Amino acid sequence: MASLSIQNVKKSYGSVEVLKGIDLDLENGEFLVLLGPSGCGKSTLLNMIAGLDTITDGEILIDQTVVNDVHPKDRDIAMVFQSYALYPNMSVARNIGFGLEMRKVTKEERERRVDEAARMLQIDHLSDRKPAQLSGGQRQRVAMGRALVRDPEIFLFDEPLSNLDAKLRVEMRTEIKKLHQRLGTTMVYVTHDQIEAMTLASRIAILKEGEVQQFASPQEVYEKPANMYVAGFVGSPPMNFVPAAVVSENGKLGVSIERTANGSRGSVFLALPEDRQDISEWVGRDVILGIRPETLTHCSDSEMSLNNRLQAFDCQVEVLEPTGADTLTYIELGGREVIARVNPYNTTEPGETMAFMVDMGKASLFDPKTELRI
Amino acid sequence: MTDITALPGGKSPWQSAARFGLYTLLLIFAAYYILPLIVVLSTSMKDLDEIRNGTLLSLPAEINFDAWGYAWNEACIGVSCTGLKPYFWNSVAMTIPAVTISTLLGALTGFSLTKFKFKGANLIFAMILFGCFIPFQVVLLPMAQSLGFLGVANTVPGLVLVHIVYGLPFTVLFFRNYYVNIPDDLIKAATIDGAGFFMIFWRIMLPLSPPIIVVTVIWQFTQIWNDFLFGASFTTGGGQPVTVALNNLVNTTTGVKQYNVDMAAALITAAPTLAVYVLAGRYFVRGLTAGSVKG
Repeated sequence: MASLSIQNVKKSYGSVEVLKGIDLDLENGEFLVLLGPSGCGKSTLLNMIAGLDTITDGEILIDQTVVNDVHPKDRDIAMVFQSYALYPNMSVARNIGFGLEMRKVTKEERERRVDEAARMLQIDHLSDRKPAQLSGGQRQRVAMGRALVRDPEIFLFDEPLSNLDAKLRVEMRTEIKKLHQRLGTTMVYVTHDQIEAMTLASRIAILKEGEVQQFASPQEVYEKPANMYVAGFVGSPPMNFVPAAVVSENGKLGVSIERTANGSRGSVFLALPEDRQDISEWVGRDVILGIRPETLTHCSDSEMSLNNRLQAFDCQVEVLEPTGADTLTYIELGGREVIARVNPYNTTEPGETMAFMVDMGKASLFDPKTELRI
Repeated sequence: MTDITALPGGKSPWQSAARFGLYTLLLIFAAYYILPLIVVLSTSMKDLDEIRNGTLLSLPAEINFDAWGYAWNEACIGVSCTGLKPYFWNSVAMTIPAVTISTLLGALTGFSLTKFKFKGANLIFAMILFGCFIPFQVVLLPMAQSLGFLGVANTVPGLVLVHIVYGLPFTVLFFRNYYVNIPDDLIKAATIDGAGFFMIFWRIMLPLSPPIIVVTVIWQFTQIWNDFLFGASFTTGGGQPVTVALNNLVNTTTGVKQYNVDMAAALITAAPTLAVYVLAGRYFVRGLTAGSVKG
């Protein structure tokens, strides 16, 4: 186990700046997920932590020691690659034990540890096979075994699940989570899949164009996204963005939204809860209201009476998409398409108007110019 | 893959006729290519009387290897009548080290050009590649000077050096293009596992290389064994390779022209390259197309 500290790390290839000053601090035993679209620099950052790529500027510290100039083999890290990178000419056991062999571990010790790792990953019956004779999931396990057997300070994962089919991906995701809980080792995990990030991470760093957009726990990232990019990237279906204006009505601050109901266009006022009344300087200005689909649903009087953060309005339904558990109901608010998650038994026909309620306590407000959270 | 001839409705009379025509044509071409070899082989087994009185295409009355023995042990190469034997061993002593060393160096260079990329690696590769297009004749004089300067002129080691230098562009090209398709992640994984340059080369890259090694060895072996120009230019007398000796044997005009000996000598000279093709030919085709199709 080790702490990891990334301080103002930059990377440029010629005049192209790939990473523009990354700062991340990781405690012992944390699970950091680097999340972002392809080309955001997350794999580059991982390679730099591993020592496979040079650092243009800044420092990377493992356990308070600067490792900028330490060779990958001396950093006490292990890495699992997207392509698994198994040595095709070696058996499973040789693959797992290669790192130990290079470190001059005795044969008995090596066999014992390889066996232990293989058993932990339930691949001990495959020891004599070559990688070509394994399925995708088994290869993935061997790749993890190779990392595991070394008992490193930090595990690095580079999109390890993206080559697996959907079912196996979910299974292996759980395996990795179990592994982390069992070993308690610090892990850094790169992915573009926000569900993997949410399920695995103790903290997520969302990257875009070489900059950290937000570095926080999954729940905080989900509930309090730092900007519209993060809000749109995390969550499925993504957060709805509604153009709105901040207004004051009956002594309460809230947002005013355009919508169509019963065939006529008009605006509706949604009051902000008590703890969000501190935005008086925004009165009369345009904002973007961010609403998660699950906080927008059909109006229920009983729930409304229990929770005063809920605000009701009516709106014309455009399209229905049943998913089984919920029906995704498309409506139009402020000229934008908005998705609401509605119980399948409470929907109305498209074209008709129905009553919705939105949990304004879970809504986010963004500055339309800077796209930052207000 | 589906056998397209086995598809339903695929056997009309026209198609059978087309197939018959195709096979006939192929047989004619096969005969056209094999006939010279048959003539050479049968002539080498005839005695001189039979050659003089018979026709070119007639088969030998009896199998008779006298001419082979004579070509190997007694035939006159210029003024020394030692047969091809010493020259054959010269060629072996030249070809084996030259092939081994140029293949190994090509593998190492290809490895560093693809997996340990340094600034200007592509430029260096382009320059090495340029060596493939330099005609032999251009380098004769400078090479002769270099050999003299190094003190290995007119020796087998000198020829080995020449062939290594001249073979490198090709071996580097082969290995570089093969290694470029091996994923970089393998090298990264091995680096993290603690293997260095030579360890990765020895334990990871070489075990993956047999297809391209076979291609390179066949290519280099035929090139070097069959070379005449360098052998004729840089060696005289006892140091000559077998190709040069064959030429001298055939051109030595004292007494009667012994066609059967000439033919036997030609076959002896060609035997090693033929053997290499027969033994490794199928790997050759496989290696040349390796990496073109995934899986």
